[in-house]
Amino acid sequence: MTSDEDQPQHSLEHLQAQTLAPPPSPQDMTPIAIAGLGARTLEGLGAGAIRIAEEVGGMVVLAGQVMRALVPPRIDRRELFKNLYKMGNRSVPIVALTAFFAGGLMMLQAGPFVIKFGATALAGWGAGYAVLREIGPILIALMFSGRVGANNTAELATMTVTEQLDGLRALAIDPIRFLVVPRVLAMITMLFALTVIGDFVALAGASVVARAMLGIDWSTMYHSFADNLAPYDFLHGIYKSLAFGFAIAMSSCYFGVTVRGGAVGVGRAVNAAVVAAAVSIMLLDFFLTYTTG
Amino acid sequence: MTAYIEFKDVHKAFSGKPVLRGMSLAIGKGEVMFIIGTSGVGKSVTIKHLIGLLRIDAGEIWFDGERVDQIPERNLAPLRQRVGMVFQSSTLFDSMTLAENVALPLRKHHNMRHHAALDEARRRLAQVYMEDYADRYPAELSDGMRKRAAIARTLAGGPARRNPAGDLQTWPDVVLFDEPTTGLDPISARRVDRLIRELATTLGVTAVVVSHDPPSIFSIADRVAFLYQGVVHVVATPAELRASTDLIVQQFINGQSSGPMETPGF
Amino acid sequence: MKRFIVSGIETLGAAVVDAVHAVVELWLVYVSTIAGIVRGLSRRRGGRGRPKGEILRQLYYIGNKSFIFIIVTLGFIGMVMTYQACLQLSRVTGDYSQVGQQFLRLIVSDFGPTLTGMMLATRVGAGIAAEIGSMKVTEQIDALRMSGVLPIDYLIVPRFIASIIMTLVLATIGAVVMYAAGGLTANYSWGVNPNLFFDLDLARGRHFALFAVKSIAYGAAIPVVAGFCGLRARGSSEGVGWATTAAVIGSSFAVIVLDFLISAAALFVTGGDL
Repeated sequence: MTSDEDQPQHSLEHLQAQTLAPPPSPQDMTPIAIAGLGARTLEGLGAGAIRIAEEVGGMVVLAGQVMRALVPPRIDRRELFKNLYKMGNRSVPIVALTAFFAGGLMMLQAGPFVIKFGATALAGWGAGYAVLREIGPILIALMFSGRVGANNTAELATMTVTEQLDGLRALAIDPIRFLVVPRVLAMITMLFALTVIGDFVALAGASVVARAMLGIDWSTMYHSFADNLAPYDFLHGIYKSLAFGFAIAMSSCYFGVTVRGGAVGVGRAVNAAVVAAAVSIMLLDFFLTYTTG
Repeated sequence: MTAYIEFKDVHKAFSGKPVLRGMSLAIGKGEVMFIIGTSGVGKSVTIKHLIGLLRIDAGEIWFDGERVDQIPERNLAPLRQRVGMVFQSSTLFDSMTLAENVALPLRKHHNMRHHAALDEARRRLAQVYMEDYADRYPAELSDGMRKRAAIARTLAGGPARRNPAGDLQTWPDVVLFDEPTTGLDPISARRVDRLIRELATTLGVTAVVVSHDPPSIFSIADRVAFLYQGVVHVVATPAELRASTDLIVQQFINGQSSGPMETPGF
Repeated sequence: MKRFIVSGIETLGAAVVDAVHAVVELWLVYVSTIAGIVRGLSRRRGGRGRPKGEILRQLYYIGNKSFIFIIVTLGFIGMVMTYQACLQLSRVTGDYSQVGQQFLRLIVSDFGPTLTGMMLATRVGAGIAAEIGSMKVTEQIDALRMSGVLPIDYLIVPRFIASIIMTLVLATIGAVVMYAAGGLTANYSWGVNPNLFFDLDLARGRHFALFAVKSIAYGAAIPVVAGFCGLRARGSSEGVGWATTAAVIGSSFAVIVLDFLISAAALFVTGGDL
């Protein structure tokens, strides 16, 4: 929780004392050493598995604390709105661009297939289906994780390292309720909204590429979308985004609040948060797809 | 004198390395107690235990007749309102102005609306001579200014008391100061000293000050506890300390680099 | 209302100028990296700056840390994609004969390298930016310069080379895993015969060419973008945090844009041929 020593954690001397452990150098790569490396890798895998279990456990605990703080919902409204604004503001451009390119990309993949068989009316189906159900929500979530999730981890981590979190505790203000819960709610809400917007932008991107590279006109594309895509396809992706938002928020806040060790620690926390979010997104996508087709 | 705050035989180790090894100290109500010692000896660690930011390995901590070291985190709010802490790095929130920082505990604990809290915050900043900077962000200010604002914020976190005129006053019963003058220029340091002394004298606040700044020690302390090798080596008034024949105490007070005191790493 | 529009345009204009600056600087970093490689090659042994075996170290760093991650994520995605595709087919034609072959085409020419690239942008991009960023704020980069070493040579070039190699390797592994996972899913959930699925008939050289081009492009882009962000870190812990964030976003976005550009170019070149 707090620093192990009396020194302020962020002093330059302290930062310089933190060095990342270097991997074995190539000179050590004799056959025996390689065998040893294999054994150590297995050991590392085991230790890695334990560490992952710890982290997942920690996130579950944090999630529990967040849930408890929501019943009854006494949330700091100023913090909530501040975060909603900040997160939305920060991420709309990049998400919109990503969605546009993603839609275009799907069109590039589906297009030749559709043209070869002459089924231009199905172009929207080909690209749209993939975009709404999978590519849209996943890419938008990944971008959101990188932009907002990472930023959030960096902020919380910096606050932890500079003892601002302890300062809150000392004022008898619960950091979970005051800092974490508003951010979790803001992230879930924002990702949801961004996925909705992003889906439309992606379809637009697909249409632009269809027009520019495959010569399919707007109305054909529009009808192709309208005729072949069901509302459930859209909803399927949207409610996945709720789950993704939750995963990103939990990962981001957890690694922010449990950071250790100054500037290096902050970087590591951001790294860990983004990776954990990516894995969670993939796993959740898997389970949600299978259970809700 | 019954102790208001008491540490009884407290032990604490970090990663196997023992820091506090049976530390015992009794602090009376309304006194200004300094805890002194070299860097890393465990001074900050000691006071952090009082409000539950750290947990002791063994021993007991008592406050106002109640044992406090076993209270679970979720029940610590009342204690933390009565015992405030000013951190070494001031820990003001970077994303808020000074006024918003001071207003925060007012909003949270005294149910003030945002604008009323801001007004009250400005008044309190005026009390520490900081009203001109109420709308600035902590990053823009010097260490001395941040320290004073942090003190104002800590005071705002205390329980409410009505003075005879019926106005709202808040101040904690105890305020812990973690190296309040370290890193400040001499004038700012003396100002902070004076603030601490005023708190004790006019409001009856018990001040526990962690410090290794001799001018502070000898100007405002009622008593001084010298922490050495994990235990309280000596407890005395400043005058007694100065007259002490203990070589270790003398080495510290006179700031000598060589002497009987082992300093790690040198 | 007019003021709102004007300030909106100002912000947009400023953003565009910033973006152009960033792209130019990024391009410079890229060029310097290539120059650094050339420099290193032209001095046979112990070129000043690059410690011996640094590339191998970086290979280990990047590969070791990402191996399981790639397998897990790409495996799951492969399963999901196949499931979704079969689901939709089941509603439309009920004919699964093409699934395996189209899946292969998609994996090789697009999703294998791109998803690997996205995952690596996250994992490796953040790692590189965090490392270099920490070095920057603790003034180790300046210390390097003082001792006559070019930071580009020492830091970015080894990671550049290692990343290209590792991206190719990992993308290959990832693609294989995706393919296998897809076949498993098709068989388990939709009863598609593995022989029907794992049919390499429609695989073409150009698909593999795309695979290689994209993998190399992503492998090149990630360390350049991440290193660039790391070198720009300022302040202390906050600065490293921002640098890492920017690196993840920048690398991911670079992967997507590169994917788009290369795919579009391929479409032009092959004229819409599958």
